[in-house]
Amino acid sequence: MPLSLPLVVILGLCLAGWFLAQSRAMSVSAGDRRKLASLPRQHGLNTVLSTAIPALGLILVWMLFGRLFSDSWLANSPLVFQGGVIAVALAGCLWSLGRIRIDFRARAAAERWIKGLLIFASTIAILTTVGIVMSMLFETSNFFRDYSWTDFFFSAEWSPNFRGDSALGILPLLWGTLYISLIALAFAVPIGLFAAIYLSEYASVRVRSVVKPLIEILAGIPTIVYGLFALITVGPFLRDYFAQPMGFGESASSVMTAGLVMGVMLIPFVSSLSDDIINAVPQAMRDGSLGLGATKSETIRQVVIPAALPGIVGAVLLAASRAIGETMIVVLGAGAAARLSLNPFEAMTTVTVKIVSQLTGDTDFASPETLVAFALGLTLFVITLGLNVFALFIVRRYREQYE
Amino acid sequence: MEDMYHMDRAMMTQQDTKISAKGVQVYYGDTHAIKDVDVEIADKTVTAFIGPSGCGKSTFLRCINRMNDTIDVARVSGDIRIDGEDIYDPRVDPVQLRAKVGMVFQKPNPFPKSIYDNVAYGPKIHGLARNKADLDEIVEKALRRGAIWDEVKDRLDAPGTGLSGGQQQRLCIARAVATEPEVLLMDEPCSALDPIATAQVEELIDDLRQRYSVVIVTHSMQQAARVSQKTAFFHLGNLVEFGDTDKIFTNPEDPRTESYISGRIG
Repeated sequence: MPLSLPLVVILGLCLAGWFLAQSRAMSVSAGDRRKLASLPRQHGLNTVLSTAIPALGLILVWMLFGRLFSDSWLANSPLVFQGGVIAVALAGCLWSLGRIRIDFRARAAAERWIKGLLIFASTIAILTTVGIVMSMLFETSNFFRDYSWTDFFFSAEWSPNFRGDSALGILPLLWGTLYISLIALAFAVPIGLFAAIYLSEYASVRVRSVVKPLIEILAGIPTIVYGLFALITVGPFLRDYFAQPMGFGESASSVMTAGLVMGVMLIPFVSSLSDDIINAVPQAMRDGSLGLGATKSETIRQVVIPAALPGIVGAVLLAASRAIGETMIVVLGAGAAARLSLNPFEAMTTVTVKIVSQLTGDTDFASPETLVAFALGLTLFVITLGLNVFALFIVRRYREQYE
Repeated sequence: MEDMYHMDRAMMTQQDTKISAKGVQVYYGDTHAIKDVDVEIADKTVTAFIGPSGCGKSTFLRCINRMNDTIDVARVSGDIRIDGEDIYDPRVDPVQLRAKVGMVFQKPNPFPKSIYDNVAYGPKIHGLARNKADLDEIVEKALRRGAIWDEVKDRLDAPGTGLSGGQQQRLCIARAVATEPEVLLMDEPCSALDPIATAQVEELIDDLRQRYSVVIVTHSMQQAARVSQKTAFFHLGNLVEFGDTDKIFTNPEDPRTESYISGRIG
């Protein structure tokens, strides 16, 4: 689509409109700006917005829906499109220039354009989510045409092959996901929470100003780096010192490896969110408890944590949805074998890893072996969405208590 | 004990000294908040601390149960004794001291727990109840002393935060008396309450005087005149004047007290 010409014209019209509107505003007021309802530059801004927004909007609409008309004469002539955009920009520019009067409130008009832009921005975020869900739903329904949903949800076997007799049961994958997430949370929640309690209740200002950023550095490490750490350090360590001596197996890739490393990744999540929530508990609560002769730890255990609990649960659930969606640490730490087992030192795999492996290489999006990835993705999406909604619900209930 | 209640009030104000402070200094960082305060607070008496904002009356109140210990930058020096015992002695555990010296705060601050658990909190921590029946009894007694029993007896499991402001403050008073303190410190207990709730709390304070030594910080001189027998006037960190409430309000010795009471400074 030849876009550069219309864009240049829109830019030019905006510039021209900016100056023309100001000079026109000065001339209608006979040089006395105090007579104007709006300042000249507000007239200028209104003209710029009236020129650019409708024209850019038209370009966007054309890019999204233009292909629907690909058969008609419209699409075959770029001149029509270019001319249309330029005409809209010119019309907007002239229309807003024509509206300039002494009593025209350009400030309010510009405000309306800006409000429209903000609404547009928030709509995009929502529409994208809807789009993602729609595309997943579409592909998932294709998958379930070829493959029975009872086998998908209730079969305990996962062995895809491209000969056409694959077993695509989600249970081993879901089990791996939940097992690894559970270990990660069992590791991250106590450590993160205790760190948060130390930081918010005990640490001096100086210690806090050093320790808090240090913990938050953990949040900035890419997950693939955590994966490497799991692969070359944690995995062999657990194998040599725990799994082998205790007779649990020979595998360096294990649920435990991935779970522990993922737990480290989640610590800053839990600690930083919990720290904020604990800090939001009013000082009056602590004073009340200390004033009754409670010690610091009694106060924290019986007053501060219960008051912050809904928020902490929200933080944990957010961490859980991150754990469920994590891929890289699992690939490198837990391996790729789909397996239903209780042994934490055995290799297992998760839903996300299998989505990647089903879609890498030559794929044609027609066989159930590739389409299953969408069904897996949608299942995961529903689970994390549920967790997030639940977390939001709890956090919101918490907020009502102190406002 | 029961006979004591029927004794003349004038007699009761002539009790022994409960709290005695000598040469108390408080610093918040570089700010000298309390300058050399000496005061003797009698048992079974309501003592009011009045003075303009920032004069140090709340700070001094918080010295009496060592709540200033919880503020990092605060330093307290001087000598404060309760029943002749130095409360800043290193051997004294501030936690146990606070069980003996209860405190009610400016803003009602019930815990986000049930009404019952709010009151049971202190007794549970200090192991005052041997069993559930014992605890029930302590809670009921405290709520009765807080003059709120009749309003909440049917909903002890309801959250304490759901009560009205005045009820919350009486709940906090009940919570404070549940640990059987000997002194009750009140930091502007009525400043967040409407006149009706204020009247209820003031009536309650007058009742509490029969068992405790009550120290109340207030911004309302009318309130000080209504509820207290002794009044201390603080100004810029100094204790300017201390004496019988009637005398302070009708015939103050210090010109600063007179100006404050008549509304010229403050």
